[in-house]
Amino acid sequence: MRALSSSVGAVVGAVALIVLLGSPPATTNATAPSEATNIKSPAPLAKPQTRFLSSTGVSRALGDLRAPLETGVLAESPADAAQIPVYGVPHEFYFSRVAYSGYGGFYGRGGSWQTDFPKADRIFLSFIDRLLPNLDAYLSEFVVLLDEPDLRRFPFLYALEVGSMSLSPPEIEGLRSYLLQGGFLVIDDFWGTQQWAQFEYEIRQVLPEYEIVDLPLDHNVFTTFYEIDEVIQVPNVGNGTRGGPTWERDGFIPMVRGIHDEKGRLMVIINWNTDLGDAWEWADDPYYPFEYSKYAYEMGVNFIVYAMSH
Amino acid sequence: MDTIFEFLFKYRLLLFQEGEFTFASPWPVLIVLGGVAVVTMPALLTYRAARGASSRWDRGVMAALRLGLVAILVFILFRPTLILTSVVAQRNFVGVLIDDSQSMGITNQDGVARSDFVQSNFGSEDSELRSALSERFELRFFRFSRDASRLNDMADLSYSGTATNLGNAMVRAQEELAGVPIAGLVVLSDGADNSGEALAESLLPLQAAGVPVYTVGLGEEELSPDVQVSRVEMPRTVLVGTSLVVDVIVSHRGYSGRTVQLTVEDTGLLLASEDVTFGRDGEPVVARVRIDAQDAGPRLLRFQVSVQEGERVTENNARNALVNVVNDSEKILYFEGEPRWEVKFLRRAVSEDDNLQVVVLQRTAEGKFLRLDVDGPEELEAGFPKTREELFRYRALVLGSVEASFFTHDQLDMIADFVSRRGGGLLFLGGRNAFAEGGYQGTRLAEILPVFLDDELSSGGGRYFDELFITPTRDGLTHPATQLGAGDSDAVVERWEALPSVTTLNPITRLKPGATPLLTGGTEGDRERQVVLAFHRYGRGKVVVLPIQDSWIWQMHADIPLEDQTHETFWRQLLRWLTDGVPQQVEAQGERELVEPGQPVNLLVEVGDSAYAEVNNANVVAVVRDPSGDSTTVTLDWDVEQDGQYDGGFPTTGPGLYEVSVRASRGADDIGTAFTYVEVAPSADEYFDASMRGTTLRRVADQTGGLFYTPESVATLPEDISLTGAGIRLTEERDLWDMPILLILVLCLMAGEWGYRRKRGLI
Repeated sequence: MRALSSSVGAVVGAVALIVLLGSPPATTNATAPSEATNIKSPAPLAKPQTRFLSSTGVSRALGDLRAPLETGVLAESPADAAQIPVYGVPHEFYFSRVAYSGYGGFYGRGGSWQTDFPKADRIFLSFIDRLLPNLDAYLSEFVVLLDEPDLRRFPFLYALEVGSMSLSPPEIEGLRSYLLQGGFLVIDDFWGTQQWAQFEYEIRQVLPEYEIVDLPLDHNVFTTFYEIDEVIQVPNVGNGTRGGPTWERDGFIPMVRGIHDEKGRLMVIINWNTDLGDAWEWADDPYYPFEYSKYAYEMGVNFIVYAMSH
Repeated sequence: MDTIFEFLFKYRLLLFQEGEFTFASPWPVLIVLGGVAVVTMPALLTYRAARGASSRWDRGVMAALRLGLVAILVFILFRPTLILTSVVAQRNFVGVLIDDSQSMGITNQDGVARSDFVQSNFGSEDSELRSALSERFELRFFRFSRDASRLNDMADLSYSGTATNLGNAMVRAQEELAGVPIAGLVVLSDGADNSGEALAESLLPLQAAGVPVYTVGLGEEELSPDVQVSRVEMPRTVLVGTSLVVDVIVSHRGYSGRTVQLTVEDTGLLLASEDVTFGRDGEPVVARVRIDAQDAGPRLLRFQVSVQEGERVTENNARNALVNVVNDSEKILYFEGEPRWEVKFLRRAVSEDDNLQVVVLQRTAEGKFLRLDVDGPEELEAGFPKTREELFRYRALVLGSVEASFFTHDQLDMIADFVSRRGGGLLFLGGRNAFAEGGYQGTRLAEILPVFLDDELSSGGGRYFDELFITPTRDGLTHPATQLGAGDSDAVVERWEALPSVTTLNPITRLKPGATPLLTGGTEGDRERQVVLAFHRYGRGKVVVLPIQDSWIWQMHADIPLEDQTHETFWRQLLRWLTDGVPQQVEAQGERELVEPGQPVNLLVEVGDSAYAEVNNANVVAVVRDPSGDSTTVTLDWDVEQDGQYDGGFPTTGPGLYEVSVRASRGADDIGTAFTYVEVAPSADEYFDASMRGTTLRRVADQTGGLFYTPESVATLPEDISLTGAGIRLTEERDLWDMPILLILVLCLMAGEWGYRRKRGLI
């Protein structure tokens, strides 16, 4: 009974979410995340409180997860090209999660960058596939490192739990040149003054001359696709499903802040005291309140459309 | 040759050509032949009897010789005559047209000016040629340069005319002398006609009236050594901030292998300079000069090569060109069918450019559009424009990855008309729904593309994908869209080949005839496998294709430093070029941009409505402001021959820059305004291509029945006019029986026969 109601609830929740967000599904399949490879989570590489360096060890571990972008096949002739299966051809949009260096171990696994990984990414992308059917998105999780040259091929980055972030000098340099040259970074899921202080310290090393400002509701990012007229605090899954308080630590008020370049274009958007990632991940859970997922998806879509046009 | 002929045949060849040969024997032919037979028959009979020791062959030769002699005598007896018609002395007129332009002042190798011939032969009444002519004809003198007029006193010749219009001069002179019998016209000129009018048309009235023209070519046919800036090819209007590449054609004689410097100045300020190396004699060299149009407004540029030592003509080393540098904002519509990085980076690349306004209409989801950089909330409210008025407001259209089925049939036609009728620029970008992959083959737009679309790949469900390393083509090296602000051709190639590779989803490899490729791409070793940038003109506009999907890599790639501006420069120049030359609703231009003081300016104005259809009933008014600040108003009328074209003129007084602003309206509605400039300055046109045009003068003479002379051969002119001229003519007969050649032949034949007999021992 419970299983039936939960599955019915899941379907109803998903449909309601999509109907209210306005775009009909283009195709009827692809609700479940792909079952492809059996993802092994990287071995815990560091004890808690030990600085976790992004290293070749991480790269190797991530190797399985990487799409074979670099092996785009050269077609000798159009007839050859017809034989290339679709996944070998690069997509336009990759939801690139940043594996930053930092202090590991909130959840005992190596590195807070992995929070909600990979489920949030996959579910998020499956919804994006329906909300923005025109977008040529790679529908699986994708991880990048800040100090590698390939970072430049992915002008959209997502990083969360940045309260534990501690960047190495190559990462600082890499991220700085990336942002100044036109990249876009979405920051999410960090709570309270202490985590803010840690994040701010890091981001000031990357972009010392640029200010962090609050984004007013008439900023372009709130109107590029959906009209967002209120900033909601999105709780994590535990708080959300239990109906408890939406805040964590001392992060009572959700804020959307950003860093602009000299021409007024947003380079970094910071979602503080809110957890969009969980709302993306648990959108199909009937116990997770629907309004949070709606807001989180609206913001997510707006971020993407903004990043690809401004 | 001629003197030998005259000695042998008594008269010049010309008389034989002009005259008619006939026999003037007073006796009828039969009687003469009968008499001859009576005389020769006994001779023949007696010869047959008196054979002597001669052989058959001997008899044959001697008979031939004797008969030859007899034939000549018979020929003489028949009184050969040459019938000539010649002009009656003193009853006919000859018009002498003297070139009074500046080119007559050019001297030849010995320092003798062309005008000196005129002075020495016609200056005073006693000069030989003049007196020979005036004995036979009544002379009437004319001077001509731009116009022709009667000349009463030789001292009035000043050789200061600034243009030469030969055709007009001849027609005017013939008209002036229409009431009297003309024997012909004599033209003393170098033939350097620079009026731009077709000479053949001017000869028609002369041919109809049967008036021959005798031309005397003055000066050398080749001026050597000399350097000349022959032509400057430059657009009349340019957007401020554009980097122009101007072709300057420099020709020379006598300086093979020398390198000179071509400089470009703007009111004394040096803009650019380029070294030019000369090839063979007479071969023009095209110099490409890059000029940055920085200051707005009308600019008079001077293209100059310094005077080389020993140059025959120095005034042809510089040319002026007027260009209007405008500070307009070109409005471009970029329609993208899906969220793409190209939109972001294209906007960023041209954000700094004040003269480009890129309005982006991006389809984010079905029926949902994001509008960026629009002028107001009503612009593009309903998505992609549905009417021509709405679409034609833009000067260029960029289409991204939009499938063809998005557009209605009418919208596809509208886009094609945007190029052909409105004259806009259209750029197709590559992408997953572009070109054949977007279903464009077989549509109206496939017809206007400069490339052929291969059929969409349908087997295996795969997509075409290729990585491209890019290189410019020969045209791309100097084209404004692709030369990337680099220096010479090698630098341009280096710049392009150093860029990271990009990718394409559209296999475009075949160009249509007449299309120009600017960039090609392929593997690192063979970069010419696919078209990367190509264009062609279509109707009034141009269509450009750029079938790559991620030029943003040139901004973001890790190998590109932050301060590198290649991506920005490429897009700015490409979009500027795309809008270059796109007409407005009202287009105004002076027929010539450089005009002489006192000459009228003819204004040509084209008017179209908001759908760029020609308007014939508009009210077109031009306000002309002269250099002293006074304004005059000129109303222009429809020129009746061509739709939408209006013309009118205004006079110019002093030198300087004239500003013309034209306003067109229909009823109460304003159609639009246009500005143009005309520079009024004395011209040095006479000194360009100032060599004597032998072919032109010969052609004039041939087509009218006259003759061509040079100063060396001019002595026979009076007699030749008598023989070949028009007017009142007299027939005369000249005897040919006393031609020295006949006497010589008789003597030869007699001596020959006697010699033969002696030799053969028959005497």
